[in-house]
Order: sequence, then structure tokens, then C-alpha cells
Amino acid sequence: MSMSDRPDPAALKKRLKALEAQAKEAQRTIDELKSRDALKTQFLSNISHDLRTPLAAIITHAEILREGMLGQLNSKQRDSVSGIVNGGQQLIDMIDEILTYVRSAGDQVSLARTDFSITEVVDQVRMLNQALAAKKGLTIERLNGDDLPPVYADRDKLKHVLGNLIGNAIKFTPDGGRIWISFSRRGRNSEELVVEVGDTGRGIARDHYELVFREFAQVDASPSRSHHGTGLGLAIARKLVELHSGTIWVESELGKGSRFYFTLPINPPHD
Amino acid sequence: MRARILIVEDSQLVAEAFSILFTEAGYEVDTAATVAEAIDRATSEAVDLMLLDISLPDGNGLEVLEALRARDSLPRVTLAMTGHNDSNSRLKCIEAGCAEVLLKPVPIGELLRHIERLLP
Repeated sequence: MSMSDRPDPAALKKRLKALEAQAKEAQRTIDELKSRDALKTQFLSNISHDLRTPLAAIITHAEILREGMLGQLNSKQRDSVSGIVNGGQQLIDMIDEILTYVRSAGDQVSLARTDFSITEVVDQVRMLNQALAAKKGLTIERLNGDDLPPVYADRDKLKHVLGNLIGNAIKFTPDGGRIWISFSRRGRNSEELVVEVGDTGRGIARDHYELVFREFAQVDASPSRSHHGTGLGLAIARKLVELHSGTIWVESELGKGSRFYFTLPINPPHD
Repeated sequence: MRARILIVEDSQLVAEAFSILFTEAGYEVDTAATVAEAIDRATSEAVDLMLLDISLPDGNGLEVLEALRARDSLPRVTLAMTGHNDSNSRLKCIEAGCAEVLLKPVPIGELLRHIERLLP
């Protein structure tokens, strides 16, 4: 080996120093981005809360008018005021979705687990969505599950997951369609419960299976899209399922319908 | 005699809406915007029903109940209002002695039904 092939220690040292400086710089950028992200989350949380209060006042005022407490309204006036109440309520629901997302994204989320019957929660969520589904002539059925053991999970959060999946199915299933919930077990000792929420809706292209779970993402994001919302429902569902050490995914056929699945450990160690 | 309702709510907009509602429904209405004000209003004149917002600028709404219990001037009935509906905060309100925990915005039909039931 000739002298010229041997690495020059001084050059190596210089190169090492440069790499170290670059690594430091990268770390600084990461820290900076993290703190900006935290600020943005805090902002989202504050603004959502502050939007809620005047909206609540608007809705209450409109309800007082609608109920005729300040004098009887004619039917056109009542319809118009009902529009204010309904629009306001829709806004509140969207704000709540953002708040739930912000809370589930934070580091301080904790699960309040108890043993409960998942079929009971499914039936509750079905009841809550019955009116909305009936408007579109949709049926929501639970196909099985009467013999399931209790699950050990956070009841409120699981209810939220089911609410988002069923709400989503209602939104994207055309009039007269079907929505169903069914359960199966998998794993060597059937230790995992698989919950399926299926529909006969428009379906999702394979390329979009991942996208639908991403926050703020909607498959059709154009301003003229026919379905509006925060685009957070499925991202929240994923966060809440993952908090329970479960997984969530979708299988679908365009024009035929979608099946959303999520898993829960059946008998996780109790805290 | 008309029943007296104390609205404890820091948003003037929301308090005004409830004031109109309860006045029209035939109740006597008083308002407070902070923990300190609520304690003052509830001790100076007996309250039949307190509609209590849980997040107030100078503290947690449940502190009002604590202070009033210590002064032996609890309202006959307290309804708590909260912005988020998780079982943990619901439980805390019930343990503190609230008859119901309502999620804001409370539909007025539901609110008036609760009040009629609790203030016979």
C-alpha cells in the first residue's frame, strides 16, 4: 500500500467533526419540530374548547326560540330556527372529534379499563345510530356475540371506536343498504377478539386502505366532495385501538362495500 | 314562591341564554361567573337549584360545593355541566353530590325536564 492510499488522520478527524456537527444540527431540528408540534396541538385543543362555548350559547338561544318560549313561531320560522340548532350541533360534533383526536394523540392518555360486555356496548351504539340510519333506510344488525366472555378495556374509548366505524358506514352506504357487526376469535388460544363492522357502501380502493386511517385524510379531499367531516374519525379509531394493543384494518371491494376489522386481546393482564 | 336558580358559568353568552330560558320558564334567576362569586351568591340567599359549570376561571366548579358544604349552605339540588363526557369526571361530580352531570350544550328540553323532576 502506498502512502497516498492511507487515510489521512487529519482529514478523517475533520470529516468526523463535520458528521458530529451535522448530527447535532439534525437533533436540534427534531427538537424544534417536536416543540412546534406540541404548540400546535395545544392551540388546537384551546381553540376547540373556545369555539365550543359561544356555539353552545347560539344553540341554546335558537332552542329557546324554536320551542316558542319567546312567542309562537309559524312553521317556516320554526324550520329556519331548527336549521340553526342542527347546524350548530353538527359543528359541536366536529369540534368534539378534534378534541378527542388531540387528547388521544397526547402523551398523557390513559386507559380506564374495566370488564364489560362488548355486545352490550355494540347494542348501545346501534341504538344511538338507529335514527340516523333509518333516515337512509339502512339496517344495522349484530350477527353474533351473545356467548362472548367480557372484555377488559376502556369502555368509553371502545364505544368511541364503534361509534366512529358505524357512523362512517352510515355516511358512505347508499340508501337501503346494510351495516352489520360480527365477532370472531383468532390466535392459538383464541386469545384475540376480532370485531368486524361491515357495510354495503361504495367501498375503498386498495391504494387507499392505509390512507383512510391517516389523520385529516379523506379519499376525496376536493372542495366539491360529497362527504364532509374532520377526516379524523378513523385516525381516532386507530389510535384508540392501538392504545389497547390491538390492530385495525380494512378490506373492501369498490362498489360492493367495506369491512373494517379491529382486534382486542380477550384476557389481557388486569392492572 | 318561585324556585331560585343560580347559574354558575363563566361565559356571559351561555349564562345569558340560560337566564332567558329559566326566567321564561318561571324561575327566579341569579348568576355567578367564578368560584368565589358562586360561594358569595349561594351563601347570601338560599338557592333551590344550582347549575354548575365545572371549569371556572378561578378553579374547579366542585370547589363551590365543598365550600358551601362547609358553610352548611348547599343548594337543594346541583346539576353539573361539563364540556367533556368521560366517566371519570362524571363520577367525580356525582361523588361531590351533583344530582346529574350534563354535557354542554345541554338541550333545553332535557334541562327543563331534569329541573321539573328535581324541584317538585
